[in-house]
Amino acid sequence: MSRRVFITGYGVITAIGNNAEENCTSLIHRRCGFGKLDFLETVHRDRLFACEVKLSDDALCRLAGVSIGAGYTRTTLLGLVAAKEAIAAAGLSDADVQHAGLISATTAGGIRELERHFYDLQDPGKKGAFVAYLDTADPGEHTERLAEYFHIKKCLGTVSNACSSAANAIILGERLVAHGEIDCVICGGAEALSKVTINGFNALMILDREHCKPFDENRNGLNLGEGAAYIVLESEGSFQRSGRRAIAELAGYANVNEAFHQTASSPQGTGALEAMKRTLAKAGMDTADIDYINAHGTATENNDLSEGLAIQRLFGDRTPPFSSTKPYTGHTTSAAGSVEAAFCLMAFQQGCLFPNINFQQPMKELDIQPLTEVTHPVRLRNILSNSFGFGGSAASLLFAKC
Amino acid sequence: MQTLEELITLLKAQIIERLNIDGMDPEELDEDMPLFGDITGLDSIDALELVVLIHKRYGIKITDSKKARKILYNVRTMAEYISEHRTA
Amino acid sequence: MACYINGAGMISPQRTYDNEAFLTDIASYDRNVLTCLLPNFKDYIHPFQLRRLSRMLCMGLAAATICLREAGIETPDAVIAATGYGFQEDMAKFLTEMLEQDEQQLTPSYFMQSTYNALAGLIALSVKCLGYNTTYAGKGFAFETALQDAMMLLREQEAQHILAGSFDEASPVQFREYARLGYFKKETISNLQLFDCQTPGTIQGEGVAFFTLSAVSAPHTWCRLKGIRTIHKPVDYRELSEALTTFLARHGLTPGAIDVVVNGASGDVIRDRWNTALLQDAFPNAAEVRFKHLCGEYATATSFALWLGAMILMRQAIPDAVQARPVHPCRKVKTVLICNHFLGKHYAFLLLDREANGFSCP
Repeated sequence: MSRRVFITGYGVITAIGNNAEENCTSLIHRRCGFGKLDFLETVHRDRLFACEVKLSDDALCRLAGVSIGAGYTRTTLLGLVAAKEAIAAAGLSDADVQHAGLISATTAGGIRELERHFYDLQDPGKKGAFVAYLDTADPGEHTERLAEYFHIKKCLGTVSNACSSAANAIILGERLVAHGEIDCVICGGAEALSKVTINGFNALMILDREHCKPFDENRNGLNLGEGAAYIVLESEGSFQRSGRRAIAELAGYANVNEAFHQTASSPQGTGALEAMKRTLAKAGMDTADIDYINAHGTATENNDLSEGLAIQRLFGDRTPPFSSTKPYTGHTTSAAGSVEAAFCLMAFQQGCLFPNINFQQPMKELDIQPLTEVTHPVRLRNILSNSFGFGGSAASLLFAKC
Repeated sequence: MQTLEELITLLKAQIIERLNIDGMDPEELDEDMPLFGDITGLDSIDALELVVLIHKRYGIKITDSKKARKILYNVRTMAEYISEHRTA
Repeated sequence: MACYINGAGMISPQRTYDNEAFLTDIASYDRNVLTCLLPNFKDYIHPFQLRRLSRMLCMGLAAATICLREAGIETPDAVIAATGYGFQEDMAKFLTEMLEQDEQQLTPSYFMQSTYNALAGLIALSVKCLGYNTTYAGKGFAFETALQDAMMLLREQEAQHILAGSFDEASPVQFREYARLGYFKKETISNLQLFDCQTPGTIQGEGVAFFTLSAVSAPHTWCRLKGIRTIHKPVDYRELSEALTTFLARHGLTPGAIDVVVNGASGDVIRDRWNTALLQDAFPNAAEVRFKHLCGEYATATSFALWLGAMILMRQAIPDAVQARPVHPCRKVKTVLICNHFLGKHYAFLLLDREANGFSCP
């Protein structure tokens, strides 16, 4: 018999805010984080804009409460800031945290620092402050640093499953709590921008030089972003014991693979459709129960067609309001699933829906259109959040308001 | 001055090399046959590799994916575009 | 819910890929780096797929294919992959191209093939597996997490046959970083001397391994995976030893019940000390085997240990090449315990067993 799993707190840092409140204010006031890169040095600086967190590495160290020069990668720092906020928001004591698990997602990890110091790190004769970054590039590094900071020793895992990673981390966390392996687990993802990521996506020709336009007929690709978000998952007994309350229940989820192509989604949206269907089935719900969909909506030609058709096929005339919040934050890749989960929880708390910025012309293949205005007040019972990625991965999460 | 036919012959060899199509004779590659689709089994990643090839060998930068699709339709369309715009 | 290993595919620095001769002809390496002996990829991968795949992706797809053929399964219900450091060769290629060419004219395939989940995606594509698919990455417990996830999926009855495995390569980039951190031996040795030299540091290795984990047994079942326990940076030896006792007790076992211990010692006299102590204290009478002289040290080396332990149970034989402390010749091997550590920070215990008369169909 599996236990119900609830969310008691969350924390988030993105290009539109250093914490949940700032993110929420930006969402409501349509303030996007897209612009010139201030902190990442790349030759593409004047042509390729992105959604950068508006803090230097040193400022992030101060916010996270760690020493500068101790080898904390930017990904780790973003993770620390968001995780601290999530833990505080959930009202967890130090003892609670030490008994919790941690499942975190990233792809870039410490690549940003590796690319900056590559030749020095490879040269045994070179000395300097950069040696603090030896062996920090792999995805597990940030999870270990977070675990050390919070004295977490159990259920440690790092997911690296492209753009559905954070959603997969949340799914694993849910299952660990549901099956009684642990009572509380902190799940999410962190991702810093890097030259490798920017150049990699640029080489795949899926970046838009302009501000992205999800689900628009004239969309031209995605904007990259960086950030981190964590949600605290707990069993009912766990938070009730200490008189705390939950924001929502993680009522359904799915992780499927489309097996269509290494980077593209099928034009018919088979994987997206299957992920959403299975999520509803897991929650024991129907399409009529969904009040809002936070779409993956990267604004690539391929994803939006695929996802748009899948939503239309599944919901038909009863398609609920849906939007992509990626024009605000950019595509935070491995952190996207948890950043957008945080936005769904914000939507519950505010009774508000966040719009799909930059939408002007409907796609000719779709009868449905995304939400374009901040909508408030609105009664929300259940929200679906999609995350799709390279390698055919498709994940969906269903949050039910408490 | 390279003729179009000479460029087509050269391109075929370069494509086969760049895409690692082991054991294929350049002469087997029909310049008028669509490069992408079910027949050849080449896909969007191969297309991106050809964009890099065109930049590296001929100095032409293609940044628009829709434009790339037209240029890369077959070897002939590639050769014609390169002839017109090459800087190397 | 039981978890049966019904097949495996192992590509390692020894001839292990055909699951035939069991570590009889041992390859030696004399540069502190062990690299894999490769099968003929064309036996496992279509030539048209082969053309664009990196060495590691070829190895991964081949190992997965070998495993599925062993298990008699065409399409698993789920695919879970794990890696410590991912596709380092492709990442290094993309990174150096980027740095040397000033971020211009970069090869998209290198970037794409360096994403950690490229292998799990490729396998799903090749066998048309539309089910659960995920990749765990990072130097700590990636493979152990993959196994734990697979076992949970079986318990949830979300899948009946799961393909789970790991891959890591002996990358020169990583070698230089690890050497600077003092993880590798300063002196150059042959892998066959690894446990003789009694000095700090280990040697670099690599490997790819896939296993089918199934809810049902079959006549060709290798063994049962009973449980896994991981301990991250134990504060002292006592924490480790108590964790082991608790782990065995949870499965109704005392140390005396273990027939063979697969010791994940790495030849690093300092970082091996707790493993050495565990074996002396807890298992004075069990047979002991060691393996890192055959595959080297890498983040997901537990997978080689799992292959070895499972083979020992299936073949009821212990190759001379791995024996550290022999077993009584007439004693059947029923229970195997793997005690692995990675760089003295990540400890893992895995428990395997096999019925005396093998396995039958349910």
